[in-house]
Amino acid sequence: MKQIRALIMDDSSVMRKIVERTLRQAGVELECVLEAANGHEGLDLLERHPVDLILSDVNMPSMDGLEFLRQLRGRNLAPQTPVVMITTEGSEEQVRQAVEAGAQGYIRKPFTVEQIKQRIVPLVSAG
Amino acid sequence: MSASLRDSIPQIANPGNLDASVQEAFALMLGCECRRIAASRFNAEDSLIAVVGFGGILSGACVIRSSVPSAIRMTALITGMEITALDATVQDALGEICNVIAGSWKSRIPELAAHCALSVPAVIAGNEYWIRVHPPESKLHHMYQFDESTFEVMIVCEGLR
Repeated sequence: MKQIRALIMDDSSVMRKIVERTLRQAGVELECVLEAANGHEGLDLLERHPVDLILSDVNMPSMDGLEFLRQLRGRNLAPQTPVVMITTEGSEEQVRQAVEAGAQGYIRKPFTVEQIKQRIVPLVSAG
Repeated sequence: MSASLRDSIPQIANPGNLDASVQEAFALMLGCECRRIAASRFNAEDSLIAVVGFGGILSGACVIRSSVPSAIRMTALITGMEITALDATVQDALGEICNVIAGSWKSRIPELAAHCALSVPAVIAGNEYWIRVHPPESKLHHMYQFDESTFEVMIVCEGLR
């Protein structure tokens, strides 16, 4: 698997570190990791830095993950980059909203290394 | 037809749902076992409290209260780092554990999973601080142990629709 650049968005810095650690445990080779605490910071980073994978929380202050997705797709920023939502909110309606907004995957917290392997590795291996 | 939680009260009041949520969070995030123990008086000095609010069909909160040493131990396990003192990382970790437990608990109750939203976590540090809601429709209040550390988790349902 090639090395990838990832953007991890979560208002919790601890959760961002957990996501990064779990990606590595799942065998994802990370060339660099960008971190953002909300959608505004994420969009700002993506204006300047291309990435191969975006992992985003939904429930964040300032700009939540769904609004981030809508603006990402609306601005045609990173149109080929897979976005996976990682969140405590996991109802069918929330998953539907995320998919409609352009997410390729949805993982509920707390997650396992196996779930990351199954749902994220295929997305970055295909690129 | 609008959703109603009245039929879900037995599930909301089921202590096993909270136990399973806490145990899942500790197993997957901290990599350790956690078990419910008999309630005893909590030493409230130098405690940390994390709160995640419920909104929508249920108004209430998930609350964790931990001593500072217990919160530091949780943070060390969750981050894999050596943590020696209360800092922003410890507060962040306790808030995120509370967030995950709240989300896991509500996902076990179908009506809540679809019609109840979570707030972002708030964390309060201080002495002799506690949250009371009068009178709650339903309340679960459990004490748990992991390693040699203990903490409390409370689910307060202030209003049901």
